[in-house]
Amino acid sequence: MKVFAITKKELQTYFFSPVAYLVFASFLLVVGYLFWIVLVSSKLATLEPLLYNAAFVLLLVSPVLTMRLISEERRAGTMELLLTSPISPSEIVIGKFLACFILYLLLILLTFQYPLIMSMYAEKLDMGPIMSGYIGLILLGAAFISVGLFASSLCENQMIAAMLSFGAMLCFWVFGWAKYALDNALGEILGQLSLFERYSEFLKGVVDSGNVIFFVVFIVLWLFMATRVVESDRWR
Amino acid sequence: MIEMKDVTKYYGNFRALDGISFSVQGGEILGLLGPNGAGKTTAMRILTCFLPATTGTVTVDGFDVFEDSMEVRRRLGYLPETPPVYPEMTVRSYLNFVADIREVPAKDCRRRVDTVIERTGLVDHQMRVIGTLSKGYRQRVGLAQALVHDPAVLILDEPTVGLDPNQIIEIRNLIKDLSKDHTVILSTHILSEVSMTCKRVVIINEGRIVAEDSVENLERQGGAATSFRIGLRPASLDWKACFTGIEGVKVDGEQNDGPIVRFSLSLPDHAAYDGVFKATVAKGHVFTEITPARASLEEVFLRLTRSEENGTGDSATEGGKAA
Repeated sequence: MKVFAITKKELQTYFFSPVAYLVFASFLLVVGYLFWIVLVSSKLATLEPLLYNAAFVLLLVSPVLTMRLISEERRAGTMELLLTSPISPSEIVIGKFLACFILYLLLILLTFQYPLIMSMYAEKLDMGPIMSGYIGLILLGAAFISVGLFASSLCENQMIAAMLSFGAMLCFWVFGWAKYALDNALGEILGQLSLFERYSEFLKGVVDSGNVIFFVVFIVLWLFMATRVVESDRWR
Repeated sequence: MIEMKDVTKYYGNFRALDGISFSVQGGEILGLLGPNGAGKTTAMRILTCFLPATTGTVTVDGFDVFEDSMEVRRRLGYLPETPPVYPEMTVRSYLNFVADIREVPAKDCRRRVDTVIERTGLVDHQMRVIGTLSKGYRQRVGLAQALVHDPAVLILDEPTVGLDPNQIIEIRNLIKDLSKDHTVILSTHILSEVSMTCKRVVIINEGRIVAEDSVENLERQGGAATSFRIGLRPASLDWKACFTGIEGVKVDGEQNDGPIVRFSLSLPDHAAYDGVFKATVAKGHVFTEITPARASLEEVFLRLTRSEENGTGDSATEGGKAA
């Protein structure tokens, strides 16, 4: 399958370069530290603060994972190889998304150590919110990756791609605050668009189908737009 | 096999290609010749489905590059100007990747990759990371990439640019070898390269075809070898009189180098040769150097574009075909 050929190649690239290791190390270091600090100060067997913190750290590191996905192909001229091969833009985009998502799942897998540590000490750990929180974290990560992938499809420069995706993610993060500031329809709409608002519901233990659908649509939409941008290389 | 009809390409307001038409038969090897910026790369990109033509049609094996782009891509191997390699991958993993996206069946993959690695002389380098390879080897990897799915048509954009003389010879031999069982289009701005590898040439200048002919004909027109680089001694004798006396002879760029004088000599036509050289020797001169100035691309160009501008009707294209 050509999609998996792209996925395999991207995963190779992640591990051939120091990027994946650095992101993993810094993510686990910061999240681990926060886990310890929160646990010691609150003495509560809940993963909610940890997952909240993890999402924020993810916001900071995910552009590093996504920034070069398409922009680097443009810069190095390898886009010419991809676009003259019998492979469609959607296969390219999906392949790249999958690679980054698999890497991300690996990262999430490594954070399972925290609930594990907790379960060793807690009398009775409430697994419900932990599971729903993880579902939320995985969806949130996928959403970040799709935004980053779209940003990367727009430019040749990795740094610009990183800044674009960082800005876009931050926007979707803080949109929710409008709900408290504005008491009108605009505030309501912006609140609906907030990834953070929706994510925090998962942390409370609620897996709302509306929220899941929102995330899925959000991801598909950005991937679709990235596909169109890659495709547009041929018309321009 | 390949049919390009009235292809025009605009980048914004800039016209990169203007009504280009040519066709290539199966098994033929065609050179696209032109100075930098003439539109060679644009033509190749349109042919490889990377860019759309503004107007005009291109078909490969009967498939339109725009309508049946995927079918065309399956039949093409393409080496862009800079080899499209991933510097962090090894040669082998890169070629495996290209074989995958080029739809080489999984069971043939290993054999195909082995074949192209051998054919492009990369056996000793197959486990090397591409980023550590020299320009010449990267070019070979680029060529291997274009061959891995055994395409019917090979499009090579300046395949020898930036290589050292040994590598150039190797790559040229490889291309010649490949042309036995592939249809090849290659672009270059070096005439000698075309004459060594191609049978037929299309010359492009400023987006237009200025000539389309066999290599022999073009060389004949371009040079007619009436210019020579001459070395004479002794310089003290009145050598100039031997040449300037004849009508139409031009001497310039003279340079004294001890007892030897060097200059370039233009003769009106072949008939004048004997007399001039005989007379010079009779006067007691010794020739130390007689180098016919080979037809350079620039000369061919000047000739072709000039005759086009004059609009004499006896344009180089027609003249060439008649010859």
